[in-house]
Amino acid sequence: MRHATSQRIETLPAPVQGVARTIFDWIPLGILVVLWELASGAVVAESILPPPTTVSSRIVELLVTGEVFSHLFISLFRIAVGLGLSIFIGVLLGIGMARSKPVENFFDIFLSMTYPIPKTALVPLAILWLGVGTETAILIVFLACLLPVVLNAYNAANDVDQNLVWAAQMMGTDGREMLYKVVFPATIPEIMTGIRQAVPIAFVALVSAELIASNQGIGYLILTSGQIGNYPRMFANIVIISAVAFVAVRGFEEARNRVLVWT
Amino acid sequence: MDGRVTISELEKVYGEGAERTKAIEDLSFEVEGGEFISVVGPSGCGKSTLLYLIAGFLDTTSGTIAIDDEPISGPGTDRGVVFQDYALFPWRTVFENVTYGLEEDGVPKEERQSIAQKYIDLVDLDGFEDKYPKELSGGMKQRVGIARTLAYEPKILLMDEPFGALDQPLREALQDQLRDIWNDLGKTIVFITHDVEEAVYLSERVLIMTRHPGTKKTVKEVGLDRSGSREDIVTSDEFAEYKNSVWKSLHEETQTEVTL
Repeated sequence: MRHATSQRIETLPAPVQGVARTIFDWIPLGILVVLWELASGAVVAESILPPPTTVSSRIVELLVTGEVFSHLFISLFRIAVGLGLSIFIGVLLGIGMARSKPVENFFDIFLSMTYPIPKTALVPLAILWLGVGTETAILIVFLACLLPVVLNAYNAANDVDQNLVWAAQMMGTDGREMLYKVVFPATIPEIMTGIRQAVPIAFVALVSAELIASNQGIGYLILTSGQIGNYPRMFANIVIISAVAFVAVRGFEEARNRVLVWT
Repeated sequence: MDGRVTISELEKVYGEGAERTKAIEDLSFEVEGGEFISVVGPSGCGKSTLLYLIAGFLDTTSGTIAIDDEPISGPGTDRGVVFQDYALFPWRTVFENVTYGLEEDGVPKEERQSIAQKYIDLVDLDGFEDKYPKELSGGMKQRVGIARTLAYEPKILLMDEPFGALDQPLREALQDQLRDIWNDLGKTIVFITHDVEEAVYLSERVLIMTRHPGTKKTVKEVGLDRSGSREDIVTSDEFAEYKNSVWKSLHEETQTEVTL
């Protein structure tokens, strides 16, 4: 069906095409919102499933009063630090493991063992070490994002075209210089793929951590709204953080495409 | 004239134990400084291995390779390889690919730019300086590969079937361009190919290798008069004679391979 509509869109003039495509992309979400509106109060009690109209007025309220922003800011700060750390350490670790056997042997066991553990299961332990608050949330985001970055960087650095390395060698590049002049740039597309996978994971990890171990942040707002039975406010916060995550992913994709003009 | 390559009793073995395969065996020959020599041989005869050994990318098992009587140990900027698959840095523009070797050599920026521009012009790529490799056709990519290698001015060009992936008219255009470059710059060129006509058309001597494990079968001198146009050369009787003689020698090798 997607294919058929795509073909029909292609027959439209170019500027209209973009608009038409956007509308088509959002149709499923529109259908969901309509069904939700109809179900609320009819199929499910309005008290536990507030309709989109109520939720959206609550979103407007949260935005107008500015109440949400301090929490959103602290949540985004935690994501930025946790994700940033995971990118920095993940790239170093991934490339290091691919290009050095001792480094690979040393870290391989940790990655293999921690891979199947849901990182949010470590929240109670993190609380024990770091207390309730920002450090715990950052640690959980960092741990959850680390693996996709490491694995993508590791695989790409393992697969760097031998001829590129040779070409650099014949022109006088060697040792550590090879890492940042050839291996790292050759690995950038896959690092970007790793980060693209890590961004939504960061939001999942963040909200999970804040639900348990925080007295600030969007996750905390969701939890407390639920606890006092203010479900429209709970839904409003869920929608806000989903929207922010969506924008973050799209924004990253846009930035990535600009960086990777050469691929 | 600098750029003499001396290969003595070269042997290259890959793997160990049961996996052990001998790629090159007891190979000795000399390439004069400034000479254009082609290497042909049946597929799997180790001709690319030979090139990568001369480049210093691979280590010899025994025997020596010397440049101007100096045994090599690893890659060096006295040699430049042109790869069959171009091996351009995809994240660098045409210009940045060509300046890479100069950057590594510590050449100051302004000088770098004028040298790079000279070689970009030489391979007819002016106007494409800011393109990335993915935006270029195969023939253009290989011209960048040639310019990149020429730019840091190695004495010896090592070319691994550089035109193998290109169609016939493009091949011929690049062959003529390479002949001109060789005439102008006087480099030593070791040119690997499986195309007998290409070998005879381009080079002064053709080294024919035996089938696996590769060693020297024979070396044919090509005393062509190359003063005329391509058409004059390739339609001449002497061209046909040289081609036949190389072809027959090579065919004996491929023949043995097929009957096995």
